[in-house]
Amino acid sequence: MMNFKTLKVTNEWPASEILFCLEFDADRQRVWFGSSDSRVYQLNLAEEKPERVALEGEGHSSYVTAMAVTGQYLITGSYDKKIIWWDIESGQQVRQLQAHDRWIRQIAVTPDQRLLSIADDMRCRVWDANSGKSLGEFTDHSPLTPHHYPSMLYAIDVSPDGEVVATGDRIGHVAIWDAQTLEKTSEVEASEMYTWDPKQRRHSIGGIRSLAFSPDRKKLAVGGMGKVGNIDHLDGASRIEIFDISSGERLQVMEDSKNKGLVEQLQWTEDGSEIISTGGKHKGFLSIHDVSSGQQQHVSEHSGHIHAMNVNFDNSTILTAAHHRLAQWSFAPESVTEPESVTEPESVTEPESVTEPDNAPPSREDSE
Amino acid sequence: MNHSMRSESLDRRSMMRLMGSASGLGCAANLSQIDALGDQNLNDQLRISGKRVILLWLAGGASQLETWDPKPGRPTGGPFSQIQTTLPGIGISELLPKMSTHLNDTAIIRSLNTKIADHGTAYQLMDTGRVTEAGVAFPHMGAILARELGNIDSKVPDYVSMYTSTEGRRKGSAGFLGGRYNPMFLTDAMMPENIQRLDEVPDIDHRDRAELRDSLSRIFARHHSHPSFDGHNSAYGRVRGLMASDYLFDIDRESETSRAQYGPTQFGQQCLIARRLVEAGVPFVKVARGWWDSHGQNFETHQELCADLDHCMSTLLDDLKERGLLDDTLVISIGEFGRTPSINGSLGRDHFASAWSCTLSGCGIKGGSLHGKTDEDGQTVVEGEMDAGDLYATIFAALGIDHTKEYMVGSRPIPIADFDSTPCYSVLT
Repeated sequence: MMNFKTLKVTNEWPASEILFCLEFDADRQRVWFGSSDSRVYQLNLAEEKPERVALEGEGHSSYVTAMAVTGQYLITGSYDKKIIWWDIESGQQVRQLQAHDRWIRQIAVTPDQRLLSIADDMRCRVWDANSGKSLGEFTDHSPLTPHHYPSMLYAIDVSPDGEVVATGDRIGHVAIWDAQTLEKTSEVEASEMYTWDPKQRRHSIGGIRSLAFSPDRKKLAVGGMGKVGNIDHLDGASRIEIFDISSGERLQVMEDSKNKGLVEQLQWTEDGSEIISTGGKHKGFLSIHDVSSGQQQHVSEHSGHIHAMNVNFDNSTILTAAHHRLAQWSFAPESVTEPESVTEPESVTEPESVTEPDNAPPSREDSE
Repeated sequence: MNHSMRSESLDRRSMMRLMGSASGLGCAANLSQIDALGDQNLNDQLRISGKRVILLWLAGGASQLETWDPKPGRPTGGPFSQIQTTLPGIGISELLPKMSTHLNDTAIIRSLNTKIADHGTAYQLMDTGRVTEAGVAFPHMGAILARELGNIDSKVPDYVSMYTSTEGRRKGSAGFLGGRYNPMFLTDAMMPENIQRLDEVPDIDHRDRAELRDSLSRIFARHHSHPSFDGHNSAYGRVRGLMASDYLFDIDRESETSRAQYGPTQFGQQCLIARRLVEAGVPFVKVARGWWDSHGQNFETHQELCADLDHCMSTLLDDLKERGLLDDTLVISIGEFGRTPSINGSLGRDHFASAWSCTLSGCGIKGGSLHGKTDEDGQTVVEGEMDAGDLYATIFAALGIDHTKEYMVGSRPIPIADFDSTPCYSVLT
């Protein structure tokens, strides 16, 4: 049992871009993150004053939103519809594929080294993670919403044993697949996470943004946002639903109407008793829920909407990629008596600007 | 009576105006009395005869960066790429692939600076072409154009406005032009309500009742005089025509092919109705498509709404052209403002009126033209700045209406386009 009440930011690296995804190398010294400037950056945390370095190559031409590490490669996916392989040691681009017809949202690697990519063409494509060879594809997701507008395929997760895959879309449909045969085995619906406003604003918002199998692969956590009144904003409660995979029964619903917005990523604790979620509205949050009771154990706010996190239970740290910043958080490894939750660092290591571009846009957000 | 009793060829519209001229058109008191003789230039009337307008109102404010003025690769540009149009050197957002091949009859204006970035005030500005002024009820665009382009004898409505979303819904006002030019306003159903003749009243009875009412009115008028009588009688005279126009809203009368072309969305169906209306002679139709106010998830909102706009607008332009209507129909796409170049934490864009875009297609427009330029991040206009008055002057000029024309409101002359407005001649034929 981790003591998340001690969670606090210990280091931050501001950026002028939006940071969407991140991964570590095997010894957790180097971190890579994908950015709205179409670049993939490396930051060596072992350095005294880490400075980010862009990986070299033709690269992406739109937001870099998906990332995975396998063997010697870092693999990235982007709204430019491409998947790119980068050599971890040289930092050079080694291969690229025009993998999809629309935005790539997420990628995942199975234990047997297959790469899965999902995109708004509503397909999940399967590749050899090392050679890039296409191995197949599957879909169970309609390209249009029930209201005739383009749908989106946001989320994928592979079970820890690599046997099962789940994919989730904009209208709240989750398909569960046998990872070997690519046959659909079951499905669940989380339609509360899709808000269609038929009258006031006449468009939609929401969708399933994150999926995570429990360590024993018996449960599936689904993250998104609850029903929204004013869909001009991410104004719904952040929402997690837990399903029993064998029965399809919804076991738990966890909503936080104080920390609103999308649940962008989910991570179970190693014993499966708690789930860590992150995401946000204009600002971000890191939240921990007890799965059996559904009670929120702790929540920390963050200055930027968090798009991705990487949790390291071995050294009790979390790294988050967010709107205009990368942040490192720490928590105590086991329950100790701590007086208060610490939501913002009192003394953060002096932030190093991560090569701010000269042409950074002015901060200018008119009121509603 | 300066200028107008000079021709025996005055049409009935002109005559009706003359008859009502002594004290205006019977609308409210004070400044509502306009001089209806101020626009009796018959040459102008002939020139603008048959001109029509369809306003695609992008309610809530569409992003210029995700439509007509993309900035790919810039920090403000967002994730979408720019696609080359069929016009050399002009690129637009990839979200408008169909419109990228439909710009031969369209002008893009990228240099609106209208300054006002709250919904209510900006709506008023863009719907009247000028800043609100205490004591003067300015008419909105539809009312002005209904008056300038409409025919008093018309059997169809002069001005139809469809706004089915509830957010940002504003009926607008004909202001000092009077209620005669208020819109037929459709909010819930695609078919106007309460214009069908009751089944229990046979058509012959209905006509008899009208004749009886006319007779009584004439007798009454011999002994009483009031300016409101003319407007009252005129309104009754139009009732039967309006009652008979319900078929225009019935898209089931269109072929299956035609309906399929416009697609299944409500906006598509309303664009089809708009085409039916202008084809039947309705001079001004507004189709509002809400709600573009994408403070959160701007890019996904625009994927939904641009798909709708791209398909429906390109289909409408094709349809008008194939029917020979586009030369006389001006299609305008615009909202109350654009959206911020900066991207907020919710991946949204907020209100922005300093550098944004609109389009004009068809009647009087130099197709394939591009006016104005913003800086590399879309923060400011660097060439060809236009305000709301300039846009109105351009619209009037495209329709052959003298933008310096004045309405007399009491003793005060009010130009139909705001003072010092200038048409953008580079987009006009």
